[in-house]
Amino acid sequence: MAGSPDHLFNLRNNFYLGSYQAAINNSDLPNLSPDDAVERDCLVYRSYIALGSYQLVINEIDSSAATPLQAVKLLALYLSNPHDKESTISSLKEWLADPAIGNNPILRLIAGIIFTHEEDYNEALKHTNAGGTMELHALNVQIFIKMHRSDYAERQLRVMQQIDEDHTLTQLANAWLNLAVGGSKIQEAYLIFQDFSEKYPMTGLILNGKAVCCMHMGNFDEAETLLLEALNKDAKDPETLANLVVCSLHLGKSSSRYLSQLKLTHPEHILVKRASSAEDSFGRAVQSVA
Amino acid sequence: MLTKFETKSNRVKGLSFHTKRPWILASLHSGVIQLWDYRMGTLIDRFDEHDGPVRGVHFHMSQPLFVSGGDDYKIKVWNYKLHRCLFTLLGHLDYIRTVQFHHEHPWIVSASDDQTIRIWNWQSRTCISVLTGHNHYVMCASFHPKEDLVVSASLDQTVRVWDVSSLKKKGASPADDILRLSQMNTDLFGGVDAVVKYVLEGHDRGVNWAAFHPTLPLIVSGADDRQVKLWRMNDTKAWEVDTLRGHMNNVSCVMFHAKQDIIVSNSEDKSIRVWDATKRTGLQTFRREHDRFWILAAHPEINLLAAGHDSGMIVFKLERERPAFAVSGDSLFYAKDRFLRYYDFSTQKETQIVPIRRAGSTTLNQCPRTLSYSPTENAVLICSDVDGGTYELYQIPKDSIGRSDLQEAKRGPGSSAIFVARNRFAVLDKSNNQVLIKNLKNEVVRKSGLPVPTDAIFYAGTGNLLCRSDDRVVVFDLQQRLVLGDLQAPFVKYVVWSSDMESVALLSKHSIIITSKKLVHQCTFHETIRVKSGAWDENGVFIYTTPNHIKYCLPNGDSGIIRTLDVPIYLTKVSGNKIFCLDRDGKNKTLVIDATEYIFKLSLLRKRYDHVMSMIRNSQLCGEAVIAYLQQKGFPEVALHFVKDEKTRFNLAIESGNIQIAVASAKEIDDKDHWYRLGVEALRQGNAGIVEYAYQRTKNFERLSFLYLINGNLEKLSKMLKIAEVKNDVMGQFHNALYLGDIQERVKILENAGHLPLAYVTASVHGLHDVAERLAAELGDDVPSFPEGKEPSLMPPAPIICGGDWPLLRVMKGIFEGGFDSTGRGAVDEEEEGADGDWGEDLDMVDSDGLQNGDVTAILEDGEVAEDNEEGGWDLEDLELPPEVETPRVNARSSVFVAPTPGMPVSQIWTQRSSLAADHAAAGNFDTAKRLLSRQLGIRNFTPLKSMFLDLHTGSHSYLRAFSSAPVVSLAVERGWSESASPNVRGPPALVFNFSQLDEKLKAGYKATTDGKFTEALRLFLNILHTIPLIVVESRREVDEVKELIIIAKEYVLGLQMELKRRELKDNPVRQQELAAYFTHCNLQMPHLRLALRNAMTICFKAKNLATAANFARRLLETNPNENHSKAARQVLQASERNMTDASQLNYDFRNPFVTCGATYVPIYRGQKDVSCPYCTTRFVPTQEGQLCTICDLAVIGADASGLLCSPSQIR
Repeated sequence: MAGSPDHLFNLRNNFYLGSYQAAINNSDLPNLSPDDAVERDCLVYRSYIALGSYQLVINEIDSSAATPLQAVKLLALYLSNPHDKESTISSLKEWLADPAIGNNPILRLIAGIIFTHEEDYNEALKHTNAGGTMELHALNVQIFIKMHRSDYAERQLRVMQQIDEDHTLTQLANAWLNLAVGGSKIQEAYLIFQDFSEKYPMTGLILNGKAVCCMHMGNFDEAETLLLEALNKDAKDPETLANLVVCSLHLGKSSSRYLSQLKLTHPEHILVKRASSAEDSFGRAVQSVA
Repeated sequence: MLTKFETKSNRVKGLSFHTKRPWILASLHSGVIQLWDYRMGTLIDRFDEHDGPVRGVHFHMSQPLFVSGGDDYKIKVWNYKLHRCLFTLLGHLDYIRTVQFHHEHPWIVSASDDQTIRIWNWQSRTCISVLTGHNHYVMCASFHPKEDLVVSASLDQTVRVWDVSSLKKKGASPADDILRLSQMNTDLFGGVDAVVKYVLEGHDRGVNWAAFHPTLPLIVSGADDRQVKLWRMNDTKAWEVDTLRGHMNNVSCVMFHAKQDIIVSNSEDKSIRVWDATKRTGLQTFRREHDRFWILAAHPEINLLAAGHDSGMIVFKLERERPAFAVSGDSLFYAKDRFLRYYDFSTQKETQIVPIRRAGSTTLNQCPRTLSYSPTENAVLICSDVDGGTYELYQIPKDSIGRSDLQEAKRGPGSSAIFVARNRFAVLDKSNNQVLIKNLKNEVVRKSGLPVPTDAIFYAGTGNLLCRSDDRVVVFDLQQRLVLGDLQAPFVKYVVWSSDMESVALLSKHSIIITSKKLVHQCTFHETIRVKSGAWDENGVFIYTTPNHIKYCLPNGDSGIIRTLDVPIYLTKVSGNKIFCLDRDGKNKTLVIDATEYIFKLSLLRKRYDHVMSMIRNSQLCGEAVIAYLQQKGFPEVALHFVKDEKTRFNLAIESGNIQIAVASAKEIDDKDHWYRLGVEALRQGNAGIVEYAYQRTKNFERLSFLYLINGNLEKLSKMLKIAEVKNDVMGQFHNALYLGDIQERVKILENAGHLPLAYVTASVHGLHDVAERLAAELGDDVPSFPEGKEPSLMPPAPIICGGDWPLLRVMKGIFEGGFDSTGRGAVDEEEEGADGDWGEDLDMVDSDGLQNGDVTAILEDGEVAEDNEEGGWDLEDLELPPEVETPRVNARSSVFVAPTPGMPVSQIWTQRSSLAADHAAAGNFDTAKRLLSRQLGIRNFTPLKSMFLDLHTGSHSYLRAFSSAPVVSLAVERGWSESASPNVRGPPALVFNFSQLDEKLKAGYKATTDGKFTEALRLFLNILHTIPLIVVESRREVDEVKELIIIAKEYVLGLQMELKRRELKDNPVRQQELAAYFTHCNLQMPHLRLALRNAMTICFKAKNLATAANFARRLLETNPNENHSKAARQVLQASERNMTDASQLNYDFRNPFVTCGATYVPIYRGQKDVSCPYCTTRFVPTQEGQLCTICDLAVIGADASGLLCSPSQIR
């Protein structure tokens, strides 16, 4: 099983662990096979998307590019323009229906991501459940977690573990699931993030992961330290800010600064949405009780 | 068998180890006795006085002596320090077989072919006893290590044990010896001093050797019947216990092993055999091709054996003694005996953790060889050679320090096994050249082929392996299947990583290679003897041990000795000047070393000159070695500061270009050579002043003149001319004149020197016609002819500037200059010469190292890429299949796939499970939360609770960025997490408010009250009241505390509200007095009560309500106020007592207990009707019923409510 070295290993790892800039910077790999090159480009463009540079991706991928890249462009279009989702979704559906390209794993992955954003989990799973790549499996795990079906998520994780237990995505998915099911598993999730932090350069994603584990273990002081470190790395990272809001609340500190920062930079963030809907429901409840 | 040392020589018949030093004596059949250092492998001395074979030899325990006995019937006692034989004991009448010193008495026992054993006193040099009884050659005789016994073996087929206790009395009075001498003959024939105790019969042929057990009453013997026999004895008798058969020829020597339960024998069948002394079975046999074995010897203290054979001898040990260990942070795990043990470096305590399997002693060398530890999983892997290599995996129990039972370890075959990640370990499968990656359940997770034929694997950072093959090592990334580094290295035995995992030391038998983590070679150290162990100190210095030294290696390749060692040790950790190590018995030891030298060198290397400075100042580092080192390493300017000797100082100063010090030293030395060298250096630097000075001191006028010429210093030049004149140095005069361009002078000199034609030519060429004519007249006919068309050319140009120094070469001004020159040494005139001397920028040294490294890695990378290419072709083929297989599967599945229905969100579970309002609020279910509060506490006004609700809700979830670009996952945070909580069982939500926060607020409220910040205090107490409905506590006791807190807060709120109200009412003194009075009836903390009382007292006193004031004064005094207050109170009391009346009528009867209405602030006396707030329990006059409580601002007065519910324990 000696197999050949995996050229894209570092690139993928960087991408999965959220060091997108590093992924972009180190993407210039010589002598890739055509398939590898397409995968490399996908990862690079997806890194740009993760960094919010949607327009760059839209501009750089022209109509002659390979299907996976087109799919990535679709994702960029979807995310860049929240008001005109319909056209993106309809072309996505069109492509998925095309038997020639409908089975492309990247296309299915993007479909899964977009439908998850739409909270149409059935539609998302329709395309992703069959798996085929580690990423698809990992996305499945996430969708099931979002559906609060950790039993299904666990089954997906088993599949991933059978394929490659030490794969970064397997480990990550394991950590997600551990966090979702809670209890003693939180400790394991923490260890997984800890392992990442020892093996790879610290990223906001890893720090947030550790911090979330700490919060779930009731250790808000350590969580705050980790989050502030993450904030140092990226002062605008929405998850860092959101978690800092939560963490500060628990520490009895003021969270308003982080909250307003988050509201400014990411008005669509789930925490912001939750907060405003909570306010509404408070008003309604006052009326109903009174 | 681990052979440590081997010699080639004539047949070795006798051997003896030195007790302390690594020496062994070998007596040869040729008559020579050799003294070897077996550790260094050198022949130290040879003693050649015996005539014929020397069969017995023995070191004295403590004195520098040894004894030998040979076929020349002589026993010789030697002093090895003096390299000579001290004396010879004569008496035996035939070959002497063995000789031995007694361990405490000054005795020697000897066995001889004359059938006797003799005991000698080597101090009086006499024979004190002759033991007769054997009736054939006595082949060996030796003292018992503790008791007064001698055992002997003879060709008469017997082994005899002799009682020699009576000799002690004899020996006790050596003065009697001379007297005794005459009696000896009587002793010889049946004397009473040494008697046969037992005669052991059983061997069928002559017995060659017999030996006592070191502690037990056992004897072992070997004979020509090829058998080894074991005998036991007690006080009265001795008997044969067992026979060990196996040797194919005469057994020549046999002995018990001092530390292990084994017997070692050797024989003329060319083998050494090891036997289990308890089971009496053969354990192992070591054979030699051609040499018969004759003698065995054991080291008295350490685990070494030696055997002599036909062509030399070997020093060996049977088992490896290196304890298997692993260091992790501050802990050391190691295997000792049958236990895994733990040692804490900081506390220096050791504990036994778990028992480990003891190898069945079927063969030797089965103890653990390596140990690997995973700190997070607290698991240990132990590898041993059992069954051709096996590993065992032990889980250390959490409450580790216990005497837990032998757990069934998970095990498997494989010669090396190490942890490669937290919960993964790699096992080497040598036959397939692959590693198996296993999880802690000992299941194979993955297999990975190895890039090189590997016979051992070592840790190389998470996910990486260091693979060793015969002549090289590679670092292999298991996940990427990439070779990260590759290095040619002789058979690497141990690998030691620095704590930052950036550097690694590869220890081979005789060398150490230090490389980076990717095996980029940094330096190599060679040893002539074995490298035993090593560890990194915190500064990146590698400390290692050989059998007799502790040494250091610096990153630049320098090494040196730190100290010597008596016995080998195995370093485990170096921390500052402390060295932790394990010795051969597996005991932890701490050595303190002097780290100054290597720290100093390291600081120099790292250019940490401030450290160097302070070390020079604070420690006595001086010595030739340091100076030489500094000089050699290019730090003469540093060395300068160590040196007192002027010549060395001068040399160093010149080398470092430090002119001032060189001048000072030169002055001290004051010899020509040094001045000359100073001049040369000063000239190099362009320091003309010093050059001039140096030339002057050496009286080197020619150079001096030339210097002045170059400098354009005409004045000095003319001085030089004068000096030359005075000295009558014509040549010098002429030169100077030439330099000066002084024609007249030149002509004059030439004339004076008698060179009239030259003088004439000079004069006429330069147009000194009158002089020329005069000279021409003098010359007469001899006027020389001129070459045509020559211009006068010997005129030096006029100097543009004159004197002073040239621009000086920049001399490195290190940190040392300032620091040390201030010591006052050699301060010289030109202090500021450097200032005008800077030509410009210092030359930037291109970091050639960096460049090279860069190149090297580039090349490496190229190489790797090239390799990758080759393999790339294969990859494609592998990849082609899967998509085809997958496509139909996807379709097939998607047609039947039914997405599961979404599960229940955690927040929904929370609301279902709990009837605590806070849990509902956190779940975002405000509606039900409010209903609950309304039902439980009658709360109707939720506006003050809004922010609390929102915070609880916000704080109940954390956010996890999972898959890139996919929506964030929000996760429900649960409270009361514990390690043992089972997954998938939902706990209640984590709440952002807790009781301890309220405690803090209460304290803050108290403080604000004391400070008189009533609004602030009121806000705090109100906040407490508003938070409590959303507080959740665990126990019933805490529930009571919460309820208490409500009361406290309520009392304060009421009191503070009244006080604030009072302050508003400036124009109503009666109401003011009343409110102040009611305030004193709120349940306050003592200091606050005191303040309220004083307040009320003052107000009433001022309003002339003396009786009431007196009451307050009395109450105030009861609280034990401080001096001032009590004084005021007493005065009020005195003043009031004279006139116990009230000026105005107050609605206040302090004799009648009452509570104050929370809304109207009127007293409700006992027995009067009232209503209360269902939450904060404040009482109100009945008219207030149905209104919002004015104290807590939440509940409706008099509403129905079930009561505060703030703990799950109340529901259970």
